[in-house]
Amino acid sequence: MSHHLFLLSPSDTPLYSLTHYSSKPSQATSSPLASNLPNLSNWSSSAFAGTFNALSGATSASQAQQAQGGAARIGGGQDRRHVIQMIANASLDAIEEVMRKDSVMYLKSVDKFNEWTVSAFVTPGNMKFVLLHESRNDDGIKAFFNDVWELYVKTMLNPFHTAHTPIRSPVFDARVRASAKKYL
Amino acid sequence: MAYPQPHPRFSVLSTSSLSSAEHLSPGSSSRFSLPSAPSINTASTPKPGTRPNIYDRPLNKTRNAEVSSAAFAFLFSEIVQYTQKRVSGINDLERRLNTLGYRIGTRVLELMAWRNESASKAPKRETRFLPALMSIHTHVWRAVFGKPADAIEKSVENADEYMIIDNDPPITRNISVPRDMSSLSCSSFTAGIVEAVLDGLGFSARVTAHNTPTEQFPNRTTILIKLEKSVLEREEALKT
Repeated sequence: MSHHLFLLSPSDTPLYSLTHYSSKPSQATSSPLASNLPNLSNWSSSAFAGTFNALSGATSASQAQQAQGGAARIGGGQDRRHVIQMIANASLDAIEEVMRKDSVMYLKSVDKFNEWTVSAFVTPGNMKFVLLHESRNDDGIKAFFNDVWELYVKTMLNPFHTAHTPIRSPVFDARVRASAKKYL
Repeated sequence: MAYPQPHPRFSVLSTSSLSSAEHLSPGSSSRFSLPSAPSINTASTPKPGTRPNIYDRPLNKTRNAEVSSAAFAFLFSEIVQYTQKRVSGINDLERRLNTLGYRIGTRVLELMAWRNESASKAPKRETRFLPALMSIHTHVWRAVFGKPADAIEKSVENADEYMIIDNDPPITRNISVPRDMSSLSCSSFTAGIVEAVLDGLGFSARVTAHNTPTEQFPNRTTILIKLEKSVLEREEALKT
């Protein structure tokens, strides 16, 4: 089971993203693609074929793998990454609609796509933290968002940080990972 | 050295570092209340490489800390002088001060909200304009200047204009504007802070500062907020 976190600036520029694999047992059977996810820097030419497969549902992805052989295994991981980014981006519409009416910062389950549920956290300065997750874990996610919020506030107090600076601090990354391990 | 040091303050440049080191250490003066800042005096830190990381510093430590107003007045006067050398007119100067304030405002907003809300179960943002304005008038002013502003007014002529009034703004207390620049208000800096807070909360506005002296309060300053049309339309739509 994996979680995907994106930090988006007020102008929707991604500042930070994280993929976290939970050690906790997952209720849903993990899709075959979950095993070969990130850290792939090469782009497959068959990216779009896989994307459509993944869009139409994770179950059909195994067929694509068989059909395209070894190259598709690499492409499959990349495609899933694209789909996840697309789901996160698409959920922004839902988030913006809810955040105008609702004054709470933690917006739980604002959007759903296939097996993914999208939860979000909007800071007063209009930063958006978007988390894709597969199972319900409201309290854990809330605690996680709170930690990320504190870390973000510390980041933005740095005079060298602007609203559009990607967050590259290794300490920030380590802290977010530690918090994800603890709560997700 | 045979002759005594003229004044301990001047010893910073002298070769005898004994007294200057003492004087430079922030610990010796209790007025500068930045306890968590890494000390400039390297003697107190064990190794230069082990400076505390910004993520290790608790955000609430400096919550009630105050900066000496003399020190701030000095810093602000330097800011104004620095800016004035680089601009072509009063409008430009005000715009630059506004930009500097904006950078402060974005941080004030996030930090203030974190301090107030992070302990609560369901942290809230302001989504309506009037509560947001009230919170600027009290909370932001208190966080920045240590006291709430003196009044909020709504323009009678224009529905999109609101005003925050401070009878004696602390940051311009030590500034005397020359007569040929009489339209300049250094509170543009404050206007920038207000603009950033409103912007962050989603109420785009143009914020400017104006001198509105009265007999009782010669330093009285009005922060004028001119909201964008879209904000007013949204407020109208949310009303129902």
